[in-house]
Amino acid sequence: MSSYLRTMKESVSGDPNAVFVFLCNFEVERRWAQSYTGLPGPQVSGSDETVQRLEELGALLGAEGDYLLLRSPLDPGFRAYAEGLGLAPPSELVPENFPEGASTSAAVLGSPVLLDRLRALGRAGAHLMPMGTSADEQKIAEITGLRLAGADADRAEKVNSKIYSRRITEQLGLRTIPGACCESVDELARALDTGLAAAPAVIVKEAYGVSGRGLIVLRGRTQADRLLRMVRRRAERTGSDRLDVVVEHFLPKRADLNYQFTVGRDGGVHFDFVKEALTENGIHKGHLMPSRLDREQIADLEKTSLALGRRLFEDGFFGVVGVDALLGEDSLVYPVLEINARLNMSSYQGRATEALSRPGGVVLAKHYPLRLERPLTFTEIHEALQGFHRTGTEDTGILLTCFATVNAQAAAATGPFDGRLYTLLFAPDRERLGKLDHGVTERLGALTARKGNPR
Amino acid sequence: MQRNEAVTAIESALTEVLEREVSGTEESARLFEDLHLDSTSVLELLMSLEDLVGIEVDPDELDADDFRTVGTLTDFLLTAKGSPADEPLAARG
Repeated sequence: MSSYLRTMKESVSGDPNAVFVFLCNFEVERRWAQSYTGLPGPQVSGSDETVQRLEELGALLGAEGDYLLLRSPLDPGFRAYAEGLGLAPPSELVPENFPEGASTSAAVLGSPVLLDRLRALGRAGAHLMPMGTSADEQKIAEITGLRLAGADADRAEKVNSKIYSRRITEQLGLRTIPGACCESVDELARALDTGLAAAPAVIVKEAYGVSGRGLIVLRGRTQADRLLRMVRRRAERTGSDRLDVVVEHFLPKRADLNYQFTVGRDGGVHFDFVKEALTENGIHKGHLMPSRLDREQIADLEKTSLALGRRLFEDGFFGVVGVDALLGEDSLVYPVLEINARLNMSSYQGRATEALSRPGGVVLAKHYPLRLERPLTFTEIHEALQGFHRTGTEDTGILLTCFATVNAQAAAATGPFDGRLYTLLFAPDRERLGKLDHGVTERLGALTARKGNPR
Repeated sequence: MQRNEAVTAIESALTEVLEREVSGTEESARLFEDLHLDSTSVLELLMSLEDLVGIEVDPDELDADDFRTVGTLTDFLLTAKGSPADEPLAARG
């Protein structure tokens, strides 16, 4: 078992060899957001099924003796591929009932045969490790006897608010991006006045915005007035002026950062890693390791993790915590943009990077968009990338980390559909990493149904 | 409001939001996949359209399907303006 996973298990369960049942419920942020008022707007997304199928990332985190709850089994080719690299996935547990549109957690709760299997695992002392805990995951733990490897749903929801993050960052005296918490329309109006008087642009973020959504950059008074007009109209219509958003001054940045620490069941705090997060307009595009931070900056983040972890524990939380941060153009680290008190995309990379990266090397986590005429098999994707794969002997190469997202939208499509291939790219230096990325992009482009549409 | 006026307004709003010139689009062009609108820009697009077309939109009532293509957004705008869509979407391919 990787030392990354052993450390995680020891922190949250007390036993480095504990058996975990992983449930990678990427949709958890939407559940937490349900009781809060964010920005006006339709929930536009063409990729719900893709988001849910990201659950397969758990295949490369869990160890052979662990379990992974999944909507449908892993492609046998993907399992054999991972095993061949020494990354044998956990045993798969698939709900026998799967109502259309249900989340994996809801399907588990509606599958008596699977619940009996989980009860047996619970009696043997296994833990449930959801990506994040909402009411459904807590209920699975309660009715099966699996021990929850983190805080309960109420505490998890509370500490995942950006309003909570901002307030504890200020209380702990950490460097904060100038801005304000807003819990009413009038507070938003005041925060926009103050913000736009001091900065050329501000960002309004929903307290429970799902990653890459629920934020808007306002580059001046006109846009601010437009937003206020819409928000006030909604308040009139609903009879409530409640709002749950934060306003931040727009800061020029050198890099986005993502770091992780784990708050143990006993209150101990372990700093896990810091990576550079690649984003476009706030939308997650990948991670780069190592980050460009110097030793002192990393030490500061370790200290910050300790302070945040202690504070979260005081509020009843324990478990894995990811934090988004920013390295400003001013070379200052702004250590808290938001706290995601759950596992993050980067959490799932730890076992594979530990096994396959080389000292001094670089690793890029990224996904490649695909436009496909028909579902592809794992073998087809694997063959298309022949010569680029990370093997035991080559330092440069690609690891496929999630296959289910390639065909996730196929079932609902009446024509060509969009897919995503999630990967880790390994290379001795950035130059060779760039060449590998370019080569992979070209090969995958040949699989794409329609040309001339790069993203 | 005529259909071509609605399409022109959408192109102007997209030009503002995407910070690049958007013109001569097909109604079948998909806002996200083809024109590269992202989910964070949808609210910005609506705010811009409100000013350009002189409508009031209730964003919470909007359906994701309204944002599928330039054509579906045009249909939405014409309905919001009280103008009939002058030909069925299927006929425009």
